[in-house]
Amino acid sequence: MASTEHESTFDDPVQALRLIEDERTNTRRQVTPDPRLMYWPWGLTWLISFGLSFLRYGPDGRILVSMPEWVPLTALTVLLAAAGIFTGIVGGRSARHIEGPSSRQGMMYGISWSAGFTALAIIFSRVSDGLPDSALSLLWGGGMVALVGVLYLAGAAVWDDRDMFVLGAWISLTNIAGVICGPGWHALVVAVAGGGGLLVAGLVGWLQRR
Amino acid sequence: MVEGELPELDPVIHAQARLRVVVALSQLGPGDRIAFPRLQEILRMTPGNLSVHLRKLEDAGYVEVAKTHRGRTPATLTHLTAKGRLAFEEYVSTLKTMIEPGGGES
Repeated sequence: MASTEHESTFDDPVQALRLIEDERTNTRRQVTPDPRLMYWPWGLTWLISFGLSFLRYGPDGRILVSMPEWVPLTALTVLLAAAGIFTGIVGGRSARHIEGPSSRQGMMYGISWSAGFTALAIIFSRVSDGLPDSALSLLWGGGMVALVGVLYLAGAAVWDDRDMFVLGAWISLTNIAGVICGPGWHALVVAVAGGGGLLVAGLVGWLQRR
Repeated sequence: MVEGELPELDPVIHAQARLRVVVALSQLGPGDRIAFPRLQEILRMTPGNLSVHLRKLEDAGYVEVAKTHRGRTPATLTHLTAKGRLAFEEYVSTLKTMIEPGGGES
């Protein structure tokens, strides 16, 4: 080691390479959000609210667990809003005081989520009148989940993120399979495969950056 | 290790504190600039220490430090220049040739 603290160097290149690797990990950890915090709120939202929907509006109109009919949709709305606000704050925190293309990309991507959800919510509520409950749940559940799948695919294209692409493709395919199986089954598929997929994505992302 | 080869490493980068600054800046996306307090927080350095090293890196043309205003508050934004990025890449590859037998000049 050299004499002064400011100018201290290394005796050996291995030590320098280790320092580089440590600092890379440290910086990446601070400027990108923790994948668990970005995916788990959505995974839990889907698991809980589509789970409730399956129990209340089961296949063939069966009620597996009796509860007021407003519970599943209210849970979905509240949890979606909470997850949106939470992940918005977490994502914003990691990008703070950094300006340039990547923060613009993040902002535009965030806006596309809001734009998509707002548009579908307005369209679906306009056509909802007169539809039977079973068709309604497929329209709202299937439509919103399709949007999420596509947005993850698009996010994968923006950040060249293969894992996010796999997640988007998984959500898109299981959603279609669920819609084909019909009302009730769709909620079960989205709760388990979709919600589970989001939880796995958070875990995989976290393990990779440790 | 071959001690005699160490002096060939870029002296501007080959100091712990400056190496850490360069690595942190190299992790930002191309075109991204970071505010001074945030960089300080990431590196856990004192303001005085960080500005000393940034000035040396700036003198070498490895970083660019721009003073701007965000509303009424002044902000200092820093990023690695193309020259700095290249110097860092060369520094890393020099280190690697040192530890890989036969990888560089013997």
